Amino acid sequence: MHIQELILRLQRFWADRGCLIGQPYDLEKGAGTMNPLTFFGALGAKPWNVAYVEPSRRPADGRYGENPFRVYKHLQFQVILKPSPAKVQEMYIESLEALGIDLSKHDLRFEEDNWESPSLGAWGVGWQVVLDGMEISQFTYFQQVGGLDCRPVSAELTYGIERICMFLGGYDNIFDLVHGEVKTDDGVFPVTYGQMRQREEFELSAYSFEHADLDLHRTLFESFEKEGWRLLKDHGHFLSAYEQALKMSHTFNVLDARGAVSTTERPGIIKRVRDLACACAKAYLEHAEAAATPAEAGKGGVK
Amino acid sequence: MSATKTFLLELHCEEIPARFLEPLITDFGEKLRNLFLEHHYSMGLVWKDINVTDQSTTKHIDVPVADDPSSLRNHLGEFAYSPRKLSWRVTGVPDSSPSQVRSEIGPPERLCKDESGNPTIQGQKFAEKWGVGFDRIQFKDVGKKERCAVVTFEVAGRPTLDLLAEALPGLIAGLHVPKAMRWGSSDFEFVRPIRNILCLFGEEVVPITVDGVRATNSTWGHRLYHRQHPEPVKVGSPEAYEAALEAAGVVVSVDVRRARIAAQLEALATEAGGRVVADAELLDTLAEIVEFPKIVRGDFPASFLELPKEVLVTSLREHQKSFCIEGADGRLLPCFLTAANRTDDPAGFVKAGNEWVLKARLYDARFFFAEDRKHPLSDRLEKLQALTFQRDLGSYHAKTGRVVALVKALATRLSSDEAHVNRALEAARMAKCDLRTLMVGEFPELQGIMGGEYLKHEGAHEDVWMAVKEHYRPVGAEDAIPSTPMGCLLSLCDKLDTVAGCFAVGLIPSGSKDPLALRRAGQGIVRILWERGWALSPADLIAAALQAVGAKATRPPAETTEALLAFFKDRVAYQLELAGFAGSVRRSALAAGWEDLADLKARCEALSTFAEDARFASLAQSAKRIGNILKDEAPAEAFDSGLLVQAEEQALAGQLAKLEATVDQRGLLVALADLAQPLEAFFTAVMVKCEDPALRAARLSLLHRLRKSFLQVADFSLWQ
Repeated sequence: MHIQELILRLQRFWADRGCLIGQPYDLEKGAGTMNPLTFFGALGAKPWNVAYVEPSRRPADGRYGENPFRVYKHLQFQVILKPSPAKVQEMYIESLEALGIDLSKHDLRFEEDNWESPSLGAWGVGWQVVLDGMEISQFTYFQQVGGLDCRPVSAELTYGIERICMFLGGYDNIFDLVHGEVKTDDGVFPVTYGQMRQREEFELSAYSFEHADLDLHRTLFESFEKEGWRLLKDHGHFLSAYEQALKMSHTFNVLDARGAVSTTERPGIIKRVRDLACACAKAYLEHAEAAATPAEAGKGGVK
Repeated sequence: MSATKTFLLELHCEEIPARFLEPLITDFGEKLRNLFLEHHYSMGLVWKDINVTDQSTTKHIDVPVADDPSSLRNHLGEFAYSPRKLSWRVTGVPDSSPSQVRSEIGPPERLCKDESGNPTIQGQKFAEKWGVGFDRIQFKDVGKKERCAVVTFEVAGRPTLDLLAEALPGLIAGLHVPKAMRWGSSDFEFVRPIRNILCLFGEEVVPITVDGVRATNSTWGHRLYHRQHPEPVKVGSPEAYEAALEAAGVVVSVDVRRARIAAQLEALATEAGGRVVADAELLDTLAEIVEFPKIVRGDFPASFLELPKEVLVTSLREHQKSFCIEGADGRLLPCFLTAANRTDDPAGFVKAGNEWVLKARLYDARFFFAEDRKHPLSDRLEKLQALTFQRDLGSYHAKTGRVVALVKALATRLSSDEAHVNRALEAARMAKCDLRTLMVGEFPELQGIMGGEYLKHEGAHEDVWMAVKEHYRPVGAEDAIPSTPMGCLLSLCDKLDTVAGCFAVGLIPSGSKDPLALRRAGQGIVRILWERGWALSPADLIAAALQAVGAKATRPPAETTEALLAFFKDRVAYQLELAGFAGSVRRSALAAGWEDLADLKARCEALSTFAEDARFASLAQSAKRIGNILKDEAPAEAFDSGLLVQAEEQALAGQLAKLEATVDQRGLLVALADLAQPLEAFFTAVMVKCEDPALRAARLSLLHRLRKSFLQVADFSLWQ
């Protein structure tokens, strides 16, 4: 199955089941959870169903486009269902069938895996979904986000898009995956993942392991932190401040991939990201609770 | 006699982590048993796996003493668990709780009746209070000064169904879950969402509701089964439970699943021309994570066999939950066995999928293996400066320096061969380098092993690479110590540096807190000394280690040394326990000295031959008396035996000479055993602290010298 077909099917499936189809957030991040649609969406009492693609970058996973399985950036398909429905497992399984996976012929297991994101003050309880020995999704019931209890609890389903495509097509090399076809009057041209991304993988990996300017990134980390707190404390702008937290998080990942963060420093740095993210979460809730209607909640900031 | 019925409860949840299944089963089992006891059913429940044919799996829960112990029966209840189900079944439960005889005590007899025996007002009121005629009142001795009015009546039992309906929701909600979760909009907390409750008493549904889920007489089978049969599975009676579920694709008994898995593993391994590489823990895990086991064999390209065996086994076990197959020569075959949660693999997708995943991992492993070997292992040595061992103790580079110093100090005491010692230093220098390899980065559990492999590949001397490979051993109580003396020395020095270093910066294990596993490391040191019989005293080792730590220490050396000595003494005591010596032997031998382990071992072995000897029990008594007598006394070593007058003390003095002349442990113990009777006689007949100062002094010295002899072997005052 082509990558774009998989995405279209997942979007159709979840739209039909009452999800908003969102868009990826236009900042670097490591996971779909960090998109404000999830981070803020999971907070508070308001019901919320959303599904979207999220390109996720993890600098330490770069392999210069040479490893057939591991890449710097991959596509996640993220689904949030809040409150988590009673039939959520069944819904997830149906979504696999919508992708053409005939479960009567496969081995499907839910193996304990309790996801957590210390930099977001978030953790949940759930599983990695394993199909014929291969992890294809993360399935989590959020217990806390931004340091706050989730009431109601959101179910988060995160699909690994490239992985599922490789698995279904029996591909040995991620770069051989077909993203889709370009049709013009001159003919039909399938475009592979390699054609779209291999050069990018090479350059991003080189940046990640060799070229990233460490002093610059250390300065950026401090600057983003300062900027974030200024936006939050002086203006009460939690959405802008959260963007600064995202930037802090990515900057840390860049430093980490270069080996510039020691094991003793790491917890302290993560805590700094978390403190800002949690403060944004708190401010968001205070603002949402103060607003009487969803329309009002969308209006300008508190201060 | 009331009729009896069978009780059945099944909680059907979303997949429960395997490690919680047994504790939850046990916890609820105890609560259910307590419920029955509370209502006076004579049922002391003992639980067993629902698989009735296998008695060996009976799980015993301590049955408490009930009010009437004679009424307690060891009633058998059954449990079952699988990834989505927790079940309990109890047969022979009475329809209603037993009726209770209750007594109420009233006023004294003389206040209840007048002289003619007619009821007084007080007597009447007592009768009215309990709703009985005055003639029902008995007058008995109730343990007070006089006889009192007593009315007894029967409190009827309550229907079991009602009791269960009232109590079960609370019991379920109160189950202990280490990491509970919430779901949906509810505040209910449990291990995983509860999606169905099957609860029967006889054929009747027990009307309970938990978190909005109402109990029924049906449940759910395997997901694949329900693709063909969308309706829930009806369970007509508790007795029909396991058959109904097996028909729906769920084997409820973990023991049956485990047995089927083991049988299939063996059959498939034999078919492949080899045998399964045993792994009891993995077998248990597989039995816990499937509802219906089907072992599938997969293959991998034989070229991956160039990877070290440990890499393949670890990868397959940790990442794929798969078993390896080895040939008769002990080498792995290019195939593996994994468990699928289904009856078959009709399209071969399970095989193909698992093979695909494994190939990806092994590809990574081969890539790491090749990349790592592009540079000599020694290249990583400088890089260890960037890897922190512990905040105060510095990097792994610093640690390596200390371990090299320790090996240098100790190797010369164990070997005079200079080349050999140099190889030991080489091994110490290389020991931690693999921490900076890609392979160990991916498979941390292969530390040491990869270092050894890489050195072997580079053509290092076998002494060196074998020592590096094994220097983390023993990793647990079941593991062996390194197989070579050099490996043992390296292991000892590495662990010694870790333990002494941590103590020196104040990281001392206490109670259940030992995050750095120092006790395990300390135990490893003691085991190595014990099994190798090396004459290295803990005091010497501690001194050498602290010298290497030097200025990095944050605590005064005297304090650290004292703490370390106490720590090592505990480890030695445990080693004696592991070696199987009786408590009396351990206590008394340890008290007479513990730092020379070879000597301690010899003494324990010698003492053990006398452990059953009644004369030693007598010696223990005598030794205690000697201890008491000599307390606060400062007897001289020498004494004039001519001063002794009584036969018993002269006999003892004679024995003393013989004792002091005996050198070997066994001979000494024989002589001591022979001393038991004469000592008893001595204490019966002789007053040690007599008037005559010279005689008194002589007697005290005699006892003092006797005790010195004892203490060559053991402090017998601790024998019992």
